[in-house]
Order: sequence, then structure tokens, then C-alpha cells
Amino acid sequence: MASRSEFSAQTLSVLAALCDQPSQWQHGYALAKQTGLKSGTLYPILIRLADRGLVEACWQDEPTPGRPRRHLYRLTSAGLASATGALASAAERAAERAAAVQAGTGKPRARVRPGPAAPGAVAGMTS
Amino acid sequence: MATVGRAVAWLLPAGRRDWIAAVWAEAHDVPPGLERLAWRAGGVWMFAREALVPRRVVRAALFAVAAAAAAWTAWPDSSVLHAAADRFGVIATVLLLAGLPLLARRFIGPVGDGWAARFLRVGGYAAILALIPVRAAVGPYPLTVPQLGSDLRVFVASGNSTHGMPGSSAGGPPWPGEIFFLVLTACYVVVLLWVTSRRSSVTPATLTIGTGAGIVFGLVMFSVAPLGLGSYASNPWLPGSQADPLVVLAWILLLGGPVAAGLLAARWHCRRPGRSIKLAQARIGQGVVAGVVANAVGALLVTVLGTGLIALLIKVERLRPLVYHAPHSSAAAAYGHVLHASQHASTYIAMCVVFPIIGLMMSALGVACVMPVPRQSDPQPGNGGGDSVPALS
Repeated sequence: MASRSEFSAQTLSVLAALCDQPSQWQHGYALAKQTGLKSGTLYPILIRLADRGLVEACWQDEPTPGRPRRHLYRLTSAGLASATGALASAAERAAERAAAVQAGTGKPRARVRPGPAAPGAVAGMTS
Repeated sequence: MATVGRAVAWLLPAGRRDWIAAVWAEAHDVPPGLERLAWRAGGVWMFAREALVPRRVVRAALFAVAAAAAAWTAWPDSSVLHAAADRFGVIATVLLLAGLPLLARRFIGPVGDGWAARFLRVGGYAAILALIPVRAAVGPYPLTVPQLGSDLRVFVASGNSTHGMPGSSAGGPPWPGEIFFLVLTACYVVVLLWVTSRRSSVTPATLTIGTGAGIVFGLVMFSVAPLGLGSYASNPWLPGSQADPLVVLAWILLLGGPVAAGLLAARWHCRRPGRSIKLAQARIGQGVVAGVVANAVGALLVTVLGTGLIALLIKVERLRPLVYHAPHSSAAAAYGHVLHASQHASTYIAMCVVFPIIGLMMSALGVACVMPVPRQSDPQPGNGGGDSVPALS
């Protein structure tokens, strides 16, 4: 049996956001917008990743006038390696699950389109 | 605001102060209004978690309180026979429950995501902790024989008896019994920690199916044997053949429940029809775990409920007429029934040993028969037919 990920789903989403631009420093609000996580969830994840040496953090050198300095984050080299591996494993598991669901229902999943739904699309969504 | 922030920051460990300041500083870049308020609320929540109420401390404190209460209730008096063995049992069980998760965290990680793993782990721990005082309550009543005929007015405790709870103060063999119970508890805790850990390969669906089946089985088994299990069902509300349908259902759930849970978990794990060896092995693995969990949960549940009920009836006289409501039944007669029930309480321990083994065998058999592992020479799907096992739809 394949092992489950050591990272939670929320942590994987943070790693994916940091992996998008691994060499760029990103600030917390940008990560929150990319991942959809609230600050009370995002920052504990960043803290744990930093404790494990997967993420490095620093204060902004030149703050915007009138605003306090911002805290910035990016993946370390170890973090990039871990994140790449974890995200690849997660993508593989998601593909297996999607294939299983598709095979189990015997028909392709209906796509959600804006506007009035066709009867077939509604039936597909509820199957 | 900055002054307040600095004032409370000292409550935090040094390594965390920067993070709280980071959340607060970032709020300036969040659009004003509810969004900024929610961002700051997240910071307050984080502060509470890091400084005031760390989750691990709360969990550890709750466990310490529950374990202390259980140990206090179960602590035998020095005058009780075999008190040393009982005290060893209480201390060793609490230390086991406290120490094994710390060891497990190192190798298999913390508890898994999702409610199924947390529910099963917390429920399992609560059940094992509850068993400490109820065993102590039931234990001192070995084979008791009524004197003066049907009046059941006088009971004689046999000091040489080997009946009753293993390791009890005046019942079965003290030290071997306590060690046996400790080993059994350790096995349950180890399996519980493994199946509910984050790095375990057991899926949340498997845990849910196994736990659900186990709860149903445990409740049915409790309705058959709420006061121990002897030659007949011990349900006082369903005397004679009235309990037969429940007994039949209990047998079906004991033998068929793991098969059903195993098949459901195996199919849920991967509904793709395929004949690769790896896929088949993964399915069988999930199915076997579901079957073992189902019967183990059932056994533990009926043990806690049954032993707990017997302990309550021993300690609380007012409850006995509710259970033994036969006409012309005196208080002494009811007490006699309860004492007899305590003799059969040891069968619950036997269930805890035997039921998971039955679950393992039946689920493995069921899943392996319905979803067999293909041979190496079987062709892959789409590569032609041949002499092969038909795939499940």
C-alpha cells in the first residue's frame, strides 16, 4: 500500500504557492490569496515549515513609506526538494482517484458551465 | 496598538514573536473592512495557540486529568488481596497510554488528518481509560455461591477461585493476569496509533467503514451480553428465546461484518477495475484493516459497556431493580445476579483477543476470494483475453 503524504492538504497548497516562484520572496497576504487560507491557518503552517528548515523568512529591507515592514517567505533548497516530491506524489494520487471515480461511474464527469445547466450536466453532477 | 502588541509579545517564546508581528504588519496590506478584521482575528487566534493554549498542552492536560481520575478511582486499598499487582496494573496502563503516542509520533507521525482518525484515536483512548476503574470495581468478586437456597441471602466468596476478572484482587491469578491484560492493552494501543497516524497507509474511508461497522457490532453484542457472556445470552430484558434473533444477528456481524467491511473498504480504495498486482494488494490491505478495525472496535465497545454496567450495578444499589425486575425479586436476589454477572465478565477479555483475529481472517478471506491478486502471467487490461480472472465492474 502507498503511504499517504506527510503534509496536510493545506500545507501542500502553501508549498505549491511557494513553488510557483521558488527564488522570489513572497509575503503572507499574497500566499493567502493564492491558497485561499485564512491568516490563522496560513501562518502556523509557515511556522512549522520554517521550524523544519523548509521555508526561510526575513523582514523586508525597504518598507513602503507609511507602512510597517513586511515579513517575506521563500523555500529553502531542502524545502524545494521536499515540496517538489510531495506535490508530485499528491498529483499522482489525485490522478489515480480521478481515474477511479471516472471508471466507477462509467461516464465522464460533467463540467460546470455558467448559465442554465443542461439536464445531462445536472445528472452528471449528481452521479 | 503597538504598545499593546509589545506588551503581550513577551508572553510568547522568542522564536514566535516575529511571526505574530508579521501577521499584524501584513494586515496593513489587507483591504480594510471585514477582511482586515478577519486577518487580525487570525493573528489573535494564532497568538492564543502559541502563547496561551497550545494544543498539545491542552491534549496532554485532558489526558492527565482523565488518567488521574481513572487511576484514583481504581487505586486499591492496601488491605485488599493482591493490591500490589492491581497497583502495578493501574500505573503500567497509564504509563503505556502516555508513552506510546510519544514513541509513535517519532516513527509514524502524529494523528492523521480528518475526523475518522481523530475520533477513533480519542474514542479508543477513552475506552481503555474507562476500563481501568471498571475492572477494579468488578475484579474483587470471584466465584460467589449463594447459600440458603433460592433466597440468595448469603454469599460465600471462594478464596481459591480462578473465576472472575484476570488479575483481580481476589479472583484469578494476579501477576500473570495483570501482565496479560497489559500486553493486550499494549497491542490495542499500538494498532490504534498505527491505523490513525498520518504516515499510515490506512485511508480515512477504511477507518470510517471499520469504525462504523464496529460500533454497530459492539452495540448488538452488548444487547446480547450486557452482563457478561456465559452459556446463554445475559440480557435480562430478553429472557429465554426472545434474545435468539439478536444472537443470530451477533453471529452474522461477527463473521460477516468483517467481510462486508473489508469488501466495501477494498472497493472504495480504488474503484478502477484493474488486475495489477500492486492494486490488488492495496485493496486487500485496506480490506483486511477494515475487518480488523470493525471487530476490534466492537470487542472494545462491548467490553467497556458490559464491564461498566456490571460495575455500576455492583456499586449503585438503586440501579439493580431497573435491570432485574422479575416479580418477587428481592434486593438480595438482584445482588446475587450481579455477582454472577461479574463471574462472566472475563469473557469480555476473551472477546478482545478472539474477535480481532476472526476479523482478520474473515476479511482477508473475503477480499482475497472476491478480489484475488492476479498472477504475474495474466495479461494487462486491453492486451487481449486469455485464461484470466474476470475484473470487477
